[in-house]
Amino acid sequence: MSLAIIDARQWQNRFDLESGRKQDDDHPVVDMVSKVLSWNHYPGDMDDRANQWVSRTALDLIDRYEPNLVCLSFVQQFFANRHFDYPPDVRDKMFFTVMEDAFKFIAISGYTPVIIGTGGLVPLKGEMNLSGLDGLAVSSNWSARYCGIHWPSLADMDLLESLKHLGQIERIVSKAEWIQFVKAEQPDLKIHQDIALMPDFLAVAQQGFAFKTVGTTLRKPVNIPENNFKVPVYTPLGKIDDLRQVKHLVRSNLEHHKIALILVEGVGKHFFPDNSFMCSNGPGWFCNEPGDAFYLTLSTGKHDPFAYPAGYRSFDQDAETIKFPFSGYMTSIPENTLALDYSGKSIAVGNRSMFMHMMFGVDISIECFARNLFNQGCMAVVHNRDKKGKGDER
Amino acid sequence: MKCNFCEHRCDLTKGKSFCGMYRDEGGSAVEVYPDRWCTYSASRVESVPFYHAWPGSRSMIIGTAGCNFRCKYCSNAFIACRNPADVQDVMVEFPAEKLVAMAKKLGCHNIIFNVNEPAVSLPSLMRVKEYAEKEDIPMGCLTNGYTTEESTLMLADIFSFVHVGLKGFTNKFYREYVGIHNIDPILRNIYTLSQHCHVEIASPVIENVNDHELVDIAEFICDIDPDIPWHVFRLLPEHDMKEFKYPNIERINQVLEASRKFLPYIYFHNFVGSNWVNTLCPECGAVVIKRFSLGCSGDRLDEFLAPGNICSNCGTQIAMLGTKVAWNEKRKKEGV
Repeated sequence: MSLAIIDARQWQNRFDLESGRKQDDDHPVVDMVSKVLSWNHYPGDMDDRANQWVSRTALDLIDRYEPNLVCLSFVQQFFANRHFDYPPDVRDKMFFTVMEDAFKFIAISGYTPVIIGTGGLVPLKGEMNLSGLDGLAVSSNWSARYCGIHWPSLADMDLLESLKHLGQIERIVSKAEWIQFVKAEQPDLKIHQDIALMPDFLAVAQQGFAFKTVGTTLRKPVNIPENNFKVPVYTPLGKIDDLRQVKHLVRSNLEHHKIALILVEGVGKHFFPDNSFMCSNGPGWFCNEPGDAFYLTLSTGKHDPFAYPAGYRSFDQDAETIKFPFSGYMTSIPENTLALDYSGKSIAVGNRSMFMHMMFGVDISIECFARNLFNQGCMAVVHNRDKKGKGDER
Repeated sequence: MKCNFCEHRCDLTKGKSFCGMYRDEGGSAVEVYPDRWCTYSASRVESVPFYHAWPGSRSMIIGTAGCNFRCKYCSNAFIACRNPADVQDVMVEFPAEKLVAMAKKLGCHNIIFNVNEPAVSLPSLMRVKEYAEKEDIPMGCLTNGYTTEESTLMLADIFSFVHVGLKGFTNKFYREYVGIHNIDPILRNIYTLSQHCHVEIASPVIENVNDHELVDIAEFICDIDPDIPWHVFRLLPEHDMKEFKYPNIERINQVLEASRKFLPYIYFHNFVGSNWVNTLCPECGAVVIKRFSLGCSGDRLDEFLAPGNICSNCGTQIAMLGTKVAWNEKRKKEGV
């Protein structure tokens, strides 16, 4: 059973992660995590100190839990640049600072780094408003490149084709083609979600364009992710060519190294050290945007765009049967994640909200609890409280 | 020529209204941006939050731009407190008929206006109501209640369930934190609305600012109708109040305990994991509706334990507009 600890500042509550019901638990590891939460209040997604909160919280957990594997995500610079237009020097400083924060964490903790950027951002060139379709267009707050088209009429398809001719849509892919395309490379890939709620067509935007549909944010983005077919990696552990090799790289080195896997969102090659390298971020025309598919790819070693398919009609899921109320749209704990079957100790800390506890399968996670950039507090999840480290065994 | 939609009663011959949404045309107040919406999305009715209207139902959330208040803690300031002319690039244009058709496409049981103040878009909303009524789609809204007597009746005509923000209980609070001088029209309108439609009330609590007014507010609500649900919101420090501290949960709840004796449906939330979001039977205290609190705009139904709105334990009627609606009820009716 996994336990969620919610910290709303000066006040905490404990819940069973799956059912959301209140749950008392006074295990020493749970109490330790509660204390770390109460010492580290999240300053907010747009606050300059948001990334330092990640480092500080992780270091507090490391002091008390001594994990071999640490997974971190630094996201403040992505949130800020997505929504606001900064002068180039301010923007660059933000990206250099997050890299400094990552290396400072490595210097203090002594962990061996695997630092991965989700790739750079580009200014929004234009939005394609698909609100008026006869069918239904569905995109999400954080996606720019992908949009699901449900029940399109012939007129809708003509409109999409015209956007293609205008150079705003790159391609339109049917559901069957999309599934076949991903399965061609990974025949054993399971689709856990309801295929009936996947869109009939996937519309793929040209770089710089985004969709405006149901599900997209009230706040117009200023910058959106580039088409990052390759993303930067820095690690002394050896070169990889593909994001799917991260899992093996980390797991195969854990016997001799304490490893910190650090994701820096919205950061491209320019801000990485010279001795970093690029690795592939998706098959063919598909590249992961920063978000669930990206995290799951490196955590599971497989591309899984169907974990939460773009354009999915999640609002048509049967709400009465959905579990994990504190886990956003996730309806089950993903399989084969990085630390799920790892016998050593592991933690994750990040300012990707309601996300970290599902993506890495670590023993303990702490993440901010924010919605639409509003700071609600923090959440810790203790998936596993009974592991013993080398010191504990003695 | 004065605008008669809210109590600012702006002189439109001098330009647009305070909210930036009305102008003078031939002696009438007309909308500057009719049929333009900042959002349309499917959400849970509890997330608005309505706790005693159509529990469990799927709502299409809509909003426009502009507001007649300038609350220092506004969570939607980026759309509500800006000049509407400056945010038109984020709006989508839907004539009323198409907006209602979208609610059907999204499988929604009802439509709720909740991003900004509905008084700034009443003619558009009146048109939506005409089509929604034909499709048997009830409408609800959040309002600050600062409407004229005439437009309050328009609100009551359009919306069958209304959530009024009663943000404090003194002119001083409204002057300093909201930007208006007189609370009386709001108190008047709460009474009027309660006579015509289902009303819930929300009050944000700011420690050491308006927490001493909580008992007065509870008594005011009780005098109108003790069955009115009251949502006390812990302040989420946003906008101009980012540096304010988060109110102490235990202390505020202790203050509310006394009022629960005479006002049975008091909820304390707007923070993740609240213990005070369940509905208790006013007679026997049994839990009749269980909810999860996922913080601001995130609450959801867990279990509805009062079939027919009757407490299973003692048979007491629970105050409710409509009754539990399955999330996928509309889809099932359509055979989807």
